[in-house]
Amino acid sequence: MFQSKYGSTGIVDKPFRPGKQEVALSAFAYLFSELVQYCQSRVSNISELERKLDEVGHGVGLRLLEVLAYRERGQRRETRLLDMLKFVHSTLWRYLFGRQARDLEQSNTAEDEYMISDTGGVPREMGHLNPAAFVAGIVRGTLDGAGFPARVTAHYVPVPGQPRPKTVILMKFQNYQAIMQRDKQQ
Amino acid sequence: MFDVRRIKIEMALLLNILLQDFVQLPLIEFNDKLRLASSWFGMCGISAQLSPMPDSSGIQLLQADTFDLHSFHTLTGTTFMLLAEPQTPDAAELLRTTVYELYCDYVLKNPFHEMDQVIKSELFDQNLVALLQATNRRWGVGVPQQ
Amino acid sequence: METINAEIFTLTYGSMVRQLIADYEDVEEVNKQLDKMGYSIGQRLIDEFLAKSKTQRCADFRDAAEKIAKVGFRMFLNVTAAVTGWNAEGTECSLILEDNPLADFVELPEQLAGLKYSNLLCGVIRGALEMVNMEVECTFVRDVLQGDDANEMRLKLLSSSTETYPFKDE
Repeated sequence: MFQSKYGSTGIVDKPFRPGKQEVALSAFAYLFSELVQYCQSRVSNISELERKLDEVGHGVGLRLLEVLAYRERGQRRETRLLDMLKFVHSTLWRYLFGRQARDLEQSNTAEDEYMISDTGGVPREMGHLNPAAFVAGIVRGTLDGAGFPARVTAHYVPVPGQPRPKTVILMKFQNYQAIMQRDKQQ
Repeated sequence: MFDVRRIKIEMALLLNILLQDFVQLPLIEFNDKLRLASSWFGMCGISAQLSPMPDSSGIQLLQADTFDLHSFHTLTGTTFMLLAEPQTPDAAELLRTTVYELYCDYVLKNPFHEMDQVIKSELFDQNLVALLQATNRRWGVGVPQQ
Repeated sequence: METINAEIFTLTYGSMVRQLIADYEDVEEVNKQLDKMGYSIGQRLIDEFLAKSKTQRCADFRDAAEKIAKVGFRMFLNVTAAVTGWNAEGTECSLILEDNPLADFVELPEQLAGLKYSNLLCGVIRGALEMVNMEVECTFVRDVLQGDDANEMRLKLLSSSTETYPFKDE
């Protein structure tokens, strides 16, 4: 078992915070802005930058799954694909953005691809960078932790009649057949 | 002693937007804008020294017969300028609260904004224009169509 | 002010620190980088602090330290710090942070014992104060993560200038 080197003052001996704590959104904005700048200084192109943001998001997602499964689902973790997708679409989204995502749908062209889409794009000066790569990373980490490894990417899709595109998080599951098989056995 | 870091004029971008969107005035070239803004910055500094009282602010309001120039100098050394019709109510307040907050939200939190450089932020521009339009409506000023 | 769940903030910070450790593979470098990132945040965040707290010019360093502790930490991290340990000249003091939202969930593994996990905060304070013409040094002297009984940042005023443009020739 995990043994703290500081005896009884270790983190596992402290009560788990109830999760009502809040910090200013600004604080997060500065942190994220700095994260983007840092990543930018370490890479030579946009896709590497997005990959780095995705990596950092992945670490967040892995741990968020634990927190959310513990708090919101009474220590239960979803084991079926559809339940897991709903968990990401509603529980995770509400936790991150204060509301559930707009749409959850299966791709028409590939059955192992699912999409979560929501409103909002980024301003033009961001160029081709898609900061939603960070969110994609969180989703990837969450799915990973739950045993649904997937390739997750963020895209902007123009919406006719709207000035701003919508953000689409595309999840392509690995071993889709095995997941389906597992779903059936449950 | 000449400390470049402290001479920051966050562009006469406000000037830019006002001129382009709300009033028909001759377009001022970009470099001229910089020159005007830095002269203004210097005058504000000199005016503070003229004050018989210690720790006075520099010029906050310049009145001409056709316009008021409101100037807000932050403690961090940034100067915001706003041109308005004479006697426009609340203009100074608008500058030091709402406009300053927009600058904090959409410029300083933008990872692609480099400190002390020209503001290039779509969201800042949009929100600023929206704010000025809303304010103009409240004051009953017509906004010319673009 | 608009808020966000502190855990997202904490986990994002943690994930970023892990990324730095992976990139630099050297604890000292990571400490330095965290301070540098904080410095850059501080330079930006100070304006929002001034705008939203409607703060007037700080009378002196003592005043500034109190504002950071009571208003600044409350505004951004929703915690407050205590200001203690003033030296006789009023140029050095300590900020004691009871709750540190950056370090929730964190326990340092032994090989990272030298990591100043929350060093970002020192940079933020340094950067913010520099923008209002106070040059300070800020370091963690006690850290709960290192087994200390409190989080303590030591603040040292190096120089402050009240002069504004146009500067007098020296």
